[in-house]
Amino acid sequence: MQEDATNVLFELLHDELISYVYSNDIDMKSKQISILESHGFRIGQSLAEQLTKDSSRFKDELEIMKFVCRDFWSAMYQKQVDNLRTNHQGVYVLQDNCFKLLKRISSGKQYLEFAPRFLAIPCGFVRGALANLGINSIVTAEVISMPAVKFQIMIQRV
Amino acid sequence: MTIHLLHIYDRNGNSLFAKEWSRKKSSNLTKVEEQKLLFGMIHSIKSFVTKMSPKDGKEGFISYTTSRYKIHFYESPTGLKFILLTDIFVGNIRETMKKLYSSVYVEFVVRNPLCPLNEPIRSSLFETKLETFMTGLSFFEDSN
Repeated sequence: MQEDATNVLFELLHDELISYVYSNDIDMKSKQISILESHGFRIGQSLAEQLTKDSSRFKDELEIMKFVCRDFWSAMYQKQVDNLRTNHQGVYVLQDNCFKLLKRISSGKQYLEFAPRFLAIPCGFVRGALANLGINSIVTAEVISMPAVKFQIMIQRV
Repeated sequence: MTIHLLHIYDRNGNSLFAKEWSRKKSSNLTKVEEQKLLFGMIHSIKSFVTKMSPKDGKEGFISYTTSRYKIHFYESPTGLKFILLTDIFVGNIRETMKKLYSSVYVEFVVRNPLCPLNEPIRSSLFETKLETFMTGLSFFEDSN
């Protein structure tokens, strides 16, 4: 199973970025997650533009969510989201049962406390992509047992 | 046909991982002593084998056999040494050891950002995958 060199490179760079932000001699204590998330946000904005440049405008919010679950997830993690749920009142839950960035770390409870730092940038990706497609949101991620992740998107309606 | 134990060393001789599956007679040394002994011996044999080779060798030391067991050796390009102790009926398993390195070690240790390089492996996912790999081998037999 030969993995694409660019995907490996992204993962390795992502790992290094996380260990840099969490290293002791950087003056970022307690802001690490939000720094990572804002990096992800900025990248997510451009990613959305890049991935949708040849497609037509989205009909509605649900279409945009489906884009995130299918095309966006495939481009980033070479698979689609396993489950999408919504309460039709602006809350969406994306479930990925084997999240790519966590699947080599553990399956179960080991290293669970480190999961949030690996999910900060992916949350930022989603928030940035949605923002550039016209949706303001708050994105959080929850891991109960590695490597399954639930991303929760709360749409902010003005 | 059985696999008895596995040792993984980094290029400096530090033991990264050791696992025993079936071992009826222990060597009466402490763990650390045994690891050092094994590494030192393999290192010496490796250079001895290359020196004594009558032709230009490609791979050098692959395995040695005694009346009771066989030791297989594989060194990755990055200097990682895999030592597998099996019974004498196992043939040349160099390809298997290469696969062990690439599909278990590289996948679940090198690509795991929480496993520091050249330090003992603590990931239980690695152990699980290793166990699956080993028990899936045709020459693995859990004989106790």
